[in-house]
Amino acid sequence: MAAAATAAAEWQDAERKVLVARKPGFGLPTACPTCLPVLLYLRMSQVPFGIHVDTSFPDADHIPSVEFGDCVAFHNEKGGVIEYLKDENILDLTSKHPSVSYPDVLSTKAMVTTWLADALQYELWVVTDGSIAQDIYFRELSWPIGKILHWKKIRDVKQQLGITKINAAEKEEEIYRKASDAYDALSTRLGDQVYLFGDSPTDVDALFLGHVLFVLNALPTSSLRSHLQKHDNLINFAEHHKVQLLEVDSSLAGSGSSDPSSSSTPRKRASSGRSYKPKPRAKKERTEEEKKFRRRTKYFLATQLVAVLVFLSIMGGVDSSEVDNEYDVDYED
Amino acid sequence: MAAAAADPDSAADQNPNTPNTGTHVPEPWVESDELAEEEYDEEEEELDGPAAAAVEREKVQSVFRRLSSDPVEIRVHDVIIKGNRKTREELIEAEVAELLRAAVTVQDLLRAATIASARLRGLDVFDAVNITLDAGPPELPGTTNVVVEVVEAANPVSGTAGVYSKPEARSWSLEGSLKLKNLAGYGDLWDASVAYGWDQTSELGIGVRLPRFKSISTPLMARASLLSQDWLKFSSYKERLLGLSFGLVSTMHHDLSYNLMWRTLTDPTHGASKSIRRQLGHNFLSALKYTYKIDRRDSHLRPTQGYAFLSTSQVGGLWDNKGLRFFRQEFDVRCAVPFGFYNAALNVGLGAGVILPLGRGFMNSSSPVTDRFNLGGHSSPVCSLGGISSLLGFRTRGVGPTEPRRLVPSASENDSALPGRDYLGGDLAVSAFADLSFDLPLKLFRDAGIHGHAFLTAGNLAKLSENEYKNFSFAEFQRTFRSSAGVGIILPTKLFRVEVNYCYILKQSEHDCGKTGIQFSFSSPL
Repeated sequence: MAAAATAAAEWQDAERKVLVARKPGFGLPTACPTCLPVLLYLRMSQVPFGIHVDTSFPDADHIPSVEFGDCVAFHNEKGGVIEYLKDENILDLTSKHPSVSYPDVLSTKAMVTTWLADALQYELWVVTDGSIAQDIYFRELSWPIGKILHWKKIRDVKQQLGITKINAAEKEEEIYRKASDAYDALSTRLGDQVYLFGDSPTDVDALFLGHVLFVLNALPTSSLRSHLQKHDNLINFAEHHKVQLLEVDSSLAGSGSSDPSSSSTPRKRASSGRSYKPKPRAKKERTEEEKKFRRRTKYFLATQLVAVLVFLSIMGGVDSSEVDNEYDVDYED
Repeated sequence: MAAAAADPDSAADQNPNTPNTGTHVPEPWVESDELAEEEYDEEEEELDGPAAAAVEREKVQSVFRRLSSDPVEIRVHDVIIKGNRKTREELIEAEVAELLRAAVTVQDLLRAATIASARLRGLDVFDAVNITLDAGPPELPGTTNVVVEVVEAANPVSGTAGVYSKPEARSWSLEGSLKLKNLAGYGDLWDASVAYGWDQTSELGIGVRLPRFKSISTPLMARASLLSQDWLKFSSYKERLLGLSFGLVSTMHHDLSYNLMWRTLTDPTHGASKSIRRQLGHNFLSALKYTYKIDRRDSHLRPTQGYAFLSTSQVGGLWDNKGLRFFRQEFDVRCAVPFGFYNAALNVGLGAGVILPLGRGFMNSSSPVTDRFNLGGHSSPVCSLGGISSLLGFRTRGVGPTEPRRLVPSASENDSALPGRDYLGGDLAVSAFADLSFDLPLKLFRDAGIHGHAFLTAGNLAKLSENEYKNFSFAEFQRTFRSSAGVGIILPTKLFRVEVNYCYILKQSEHDCGKTGIQFSFSSPL
């Protein structure tokens, strides 16, 4: 108890809470499907926080993480950030629900975090052509590293889902069937309520909302989306809460490119189109300055090289007299 | 030829069958006696024992006198290369032909032959090198044919294992390597090495070295290596590096290399401080490194006279604008002054270095933690030229800006147990030392090379990146200089160079890991 109180006390005392997440995109404050639920959970809990974007560690297990004071909650510790915050009695949305059935919540959570999460991973890494994953995770890394890490991740996902060349079709069918069943169950559970379990949110709402928003915004032409489209109440659920949580609080987030113009678009194509537009414009502005800087750097380096070569060629005539000492010197390996 | 032999002038011209500069570096004058004798033996008339010996001696002496008094004109007609089955002739010719042909007198030629022999042996692909000066074609007087005979290494594979200290590594390592000589006949040296370091550094690498390539007369090197280093104890991160390094220019004073490295920093303990957490991840470093070095000290291990200067510049970020971009510059100046008594010498050194991130908004960005400067460690500042890092009395990475590590409230039973601090390194580093070395009074120690020294070291680190340069002031930097003093004994053995020092910390800041007491240091004997 004393230990738990300390973490909660740190939370209280911390001036600023920072969520370390991956970069924004597709009209979402963070485009990574693992980080989005944590962000939504914090928004639902109405906790003010800042976002630090991590671009150099796409294969990190510990992201998303929440920093408060000198403490950090990592994704790969104690079941995740949301679980940690619950266990330490810092943020527990479910406890505000005296009437909700704990087994129900747990089983729904299990369904969302296994069947739906697997389907999303499959869709993102195995089915799509890789450009979406590239945008989210590897765009900020140098090309050779990005390529290798991307290939490695695809291989890991296939291994995790148990997909081989022989059973690929069978696995795909199984994954989509489970996802479809999960959507059916969740649609029934939701009905016409505001949240899955009544009028106030639980952590399952955050998890499911993150999943749905990602599928709708980042995977516009996927089979998963077509399964999701069959349930209007799920779509409405996503749209309603997106407006509530992401648009209203976008000023608090501090993230650059969450695009307000893509807020109230029910049509899939329009939103994905609009969420891509700002990028080329920003790129063009930067190119001029970058080009100039690059040119200057190249001139500087070329001058240095020329100076060294000139010096060497002048000194070349004197070298033979210094040869006696040559075999004393180790040529650096 | 007897007549020729009797005539010292033409003897020198037509039969300069002088030194066989074989595997030793000979005294030409000495060996010319022996071989001139052999030559004259074959061609002389048979004389009686003592008389023959006297005539021989007289002839040799006259040749000797002739050679030592005036320059004797000679011209190299042809350079003949023998014994190379695998090695390309162009390689050997490129190394020695020009040198030999440039000689115009016999004395020059002898000198050139010595140098040529040394160069060829320096390629490290021959077991033996013999250069013989033979008579030129009879129709061309005053010429000579130089015969270069090489014995290629019988066994192209050689392996070594040992304990070495490398300048790049922070400490020293146990290394095993396999060398393949002259695979393609270009004098190429291939090597594969495995190294395991004292501080859990491990490295695997393969490399190739070409002594010359077409018109480029300086050695070229390429090396691919996989290195992993563990800094968890000091800075809470582990570094893994996969790199390609190309040595473009490598002469006695200049060294230019291009490095492509994929670095990954991880923290498996999840205990890093915030600054280190921000640095974790994958980095691509594409950097050009230029080193200029002059070392005119009389010894690397115990310099008593001379000076040395080293400047290292590194520019990173040449591949694209997503990789690590920084500029790093380091200077190191040393000077040794001898005193007359007890073989004493005063060594003084000063080093400074700075690293700056490049790119837009570079004032706000942080420098890469792996390339920052760190002070501390037990390595002797006198021996290691290259790198500001020694500050005797302080632990490795025991000085400079620090940050508290992650606090884990539920893990600690004892509330007052602090998580410790990460040592981040500095963007600006200055270090200086003065070391007086002297022989010990006992003859036994003097003979064994054991000597004593008294030293004074000082250094400081400061952070400049992330807008910290605004808070920087020279006065404060000077005021917070750490320093230590002490005495010690150095024992050079075959395997190591052992130093036993008693260090007294004169000044240290809060959070520094300096300890007054006895310390041991081991370094490479080379």
